[in-house]
Amino acid sequence: MTAARIKKLDPSGASLPQPSFRRGALLGGLAIVAYLVLTFFVAKANLSIQSVVLVAAVFAVLAISLDLVAGMLGLYSLGQGGFFGIGAYVTTILAGQFGWDVFLLLFVVLAVTGVAGALVGAMSLRVSGLHFAITTFIVTLVLTVLETNLEITGGLQGQLGPAFPDFPKVLSGLGAPVAWCIMLALLLCVGLVWNIRRSPLYPVLLSIRDAEPFAEAAGVRTSLIKVGLFSLSAAIAGGAGWLFSFLGVVSPGQFDWSVSLNVLVMVLVGGINTTFGPIIGAMFVSMFPVVVNINPWIQEILYGALSIAAITFLPEGVIGVGRRLLAGKRSGATPAATDARPPEAIAAGDPSVEIVAHGGEVIVRRAPLDEIMLECRGIECGYGRGPKVLRGVDLVVRRGEIHGLIGPNGSGKSTLANVIAGRLTPTAGTVILKSQPVNGQPPSSRAKLGLRRTFQAAELVREITTAQNVTVGLYDRIPGIVRRAALWPMLPSGRRDTAITQRQAVDSLVAVGAAEWASERVGDVPHGIEQLTQLAAVCIAAPDILILDEPATGLSAREVAHLARILADLRSQGVTMIIIEHQTRFLFPLCDQVTVLNLGEVILTGTADEVRAHPVVRQVYLGE
Amino acid sequence: MLQFLASGIAIGCVYGMIGMALAITFYVTRIINFAQGQLMMVTVMVTAELVGQGYSPWVGVAAGLAASAVVGVLSYLIAVRPILAFNRFGFGWLVSTLGFAAIVENAAAYFWGPTSIPFPTILNSTSVHFGDAAVLTGQQILAIVVALLAGVAFELVRRHTLFGKIGMATAADPEMASAFGINTKTVAMVAFAASALLAGLAGVMIGPSTFANPYLGDTFGTYGFIAMMIGGGTERPITALYGGILLGISAEGANAFVNSRASDWFPFLVLALILVVSPRGLFSSTGPLARLRPVRAGR
Repeated sequence: MTAARIKKLDPSGASLPQPSFRRGALLGGLAIVAYLVLTFFVAKANLSIQSVVLVAAVFAVLAISLDLVAGMLGLYSLGQGGFFGIGAYVTTILAGQFGWDVFLLLFVVLAVTGVAGALVGAMSLRVSGLHFAITTFIVTLVLTVLETNLEITGGLQGQLGPAFPDFPKVLSGLGAPVAWCIMLALLLCVGLVWNIRRSPLYPVLLSIRDAEPFAEAAGVRTSLIKVGLFSLSAAIAGGAGWLFSFLGVVSPGQFDWSVSLNVLVMVLVGGINTTFGPIIGAMFVSMFPVVVNINPWIQEILYGALSIAAITFLPEGVIGVGRRLLAGKRSGATPAATDARPPEAIAAGDPSVEIVAHGGEVIVRRAPLDEIMLECRGIECGYGRGPKVLRGVDLVVRRGEIHGLIGPNGSGKSTLANVIAGRLTPTAGTVILKSQPVNGQPPSSRAKLGLRRTFQAAELVREITTAQNVTVGLYDRIPGIVRRAALWPMLPSGRRDTAITQRQAVDSLVAVGAAEWASERVGDVPHGIEQLTQLAAVCIAAPDILILDEPATGLSAREVAHLARILADLRSQGVTMIIIEHQTRFLFPLCDQVTVLNLGEVILTGTADEVRAHPVVRQVYLGE
Repeated sequence: MLQFLASGIAIGCVYGMIGMALAITFYVTRIINFAQGQLMMVTVMVTAELVGQGYSPWVGVAAGLAASAVVGVLSYLIAVRPILAFNRFGFGWLVSTLGFAAIVENAAAYFWGPTSIPFPTILNSTSVHFGDAAVLTGQQILAIVVALLAGVAFELVRRHTLFGKIGMATAADPEMASAFGINTKTVAMVAFAASALLAGLAGVMIGPSTFANPYLGDTFGTYGFIAMMIGGGTERPITALYGGILLGISAEGANAFVNSRASDWFPFLVLALILVVSPRGLFSSTGPLARLRPVRAGR
């Protein structure tokens, strides 16, 4: 059953947005040609100009490596200086003292720093937020101390890096080969970030950053992705170190914690979570001492003042400010998400047509099947040393039924939902999902069994559109979403899948009645639309069993009525649902069974009428 | 044998004081002031300058501490408050406090030049013998006494006075605290002034042996930071003092038992090991840093 439900993307009717892709490819091609011409001039330029540009380019690579984790995942790594140093020292020592080939060393460096990044990531991601920054900061500190004190590194003075091999004779007209190598590496990194930003993985990454429970509930193994992306970021920083070793002397001061912080300055000044911001920031920071050539102390003072000013007056960075100015100029232009939507999608999924047509069937309820979808046995759960929030809770939900969960505030409804979905571990008792005990399994594994849930306070990414948020729900339906992300928009299959996912997301929003909000950022929509967006994000995955935590909160009376029709429709498709809700007028007509919780205990499970008639329920819940 | 313990505790108390200074401002604003070492340096430089001009050491020290407090409050007003006002959970403060540190350090270097100038000896010339086991200078003993007093005083204020509780409330949730009528700006300014005073005191303790140098702040700021991290002293700043003492003993011990340069790297090894075992520091029971992330419903 599971295998059947986890269907792959349905490619029928997907039309490629060909013309816009062709135009994009043409523009991209022109940009690359212009960049190569620029590289040619850099490679031919005199040494002083060349070194300024190349150092800036190496730092741009480093800044991109940080933005990859800081911008997309919110992991403010201060370990970039350390990984940068590993790359440079491994190259210098193995090439200079052991005579290894420098191109072989590139792969060695990428592997070494990648593994180091994965280890540091796995270790420091036990703690999050600021503590991650501090742990990686200390990694850099320790590495700097090692570089200063080990025999092999040459101490404080450091040692001269290897020379970059010459071009073969035929190509010698191209200028300095190291310039080509560095500039192409930068191009590669920009391309990588550009592609990831245009892949369906991007909203998933942002959801890990801003709404981790939402991502986990959609089946994303968030810690694995965090460690993986951090490892990639470390490998890129190591690669930057490899490039840097060709530019002269390698010494500990070039890789210490101040470098890590400077890289963060670059990212923040240029604009975090933008493709070109880190490059602008890197140019500003690394070219500043060259351009402003005054008394070194005054220069440092000026630099300090400028970085404070930048962070105070341009908190979104140069790119952020530029974007805001541009957005003001061409307001009214349609965002990209809706461009790809074929016009017929709107008509086909129009709520007034579709739901009314279904109206007749909705009332004819199928009797629930006897198969047990979900069972909770003797669940006990508490927070810290406080009183138990759930005490011996038993719950049985059969296939195809709508199971209401009511109770006064603080009765343990949301806690029970979190235990079932795997966000909380019960101190005793068992959760059985589709006759498999799932105790100890993370939310993402339960999502793969066809369980989806919404949250009482919507967990969504505010800076992207509702449609993009909904695509997160498709995470485990898109084959190779992680693997293909690096090349996504360049792959024909990637462009096809983007078109399909965008269409499905819009269709799903249409079905829940939030069609006109599809291209609005979540930060700009009303509370009720957030709820509907959550619902669309779970419905798009065609789940077997849904947990809805107060789905009617913040909805208008019309929207509540529409929600009731959607839920009835889902039920007729055989979806099992557990609905936590206070609005019994909305909930009871939908429910096959209702369970009443009070002070962490089940008072009663029965039909809506039984519950309504029960004296204890009337007393504790309806207040009679 | 006991000598390294005694001198380790003495230098550790200085690190611990800077660690506590970092922890106090972290406690109230949830940011790490990367200019903390530079605040210490300000006291050292101003004291040395005034004593060099012929003022009594008492006047010099008092003026130095006052100067640190002023610069500390300035660091809050310039480099912290505007950034937190934009985004309380962002990391912009990392950049701005570092920028502030660069300004202070390089201004000092511009004004006094990069070389060391003499600092009053205070108690550095007297020495106290503990039997045959150890010798400490009066200055070292002073450092231990001052650090312990400062730590205990801070704990008493934090736990038993209204101001301490106001500080806790501001730390936990500034918006809620201001809804109760607490002027969070004043609370934070007092905390930054107190923190700068503590860092300045650490400078007065160490000044006689290091002399006055504009770049003093880098080294001692880093060691103070490590002390705080080992202790995990962000919920109870006094744990930073424990961390500092541990750091001092391990550095002096490495010098005594490995070689004379071992103190350059051994403490970092200790720190790395401690963080592998206990990522939130040795003396912390809960995870105060985890509270940095906004608390969401349903968690």
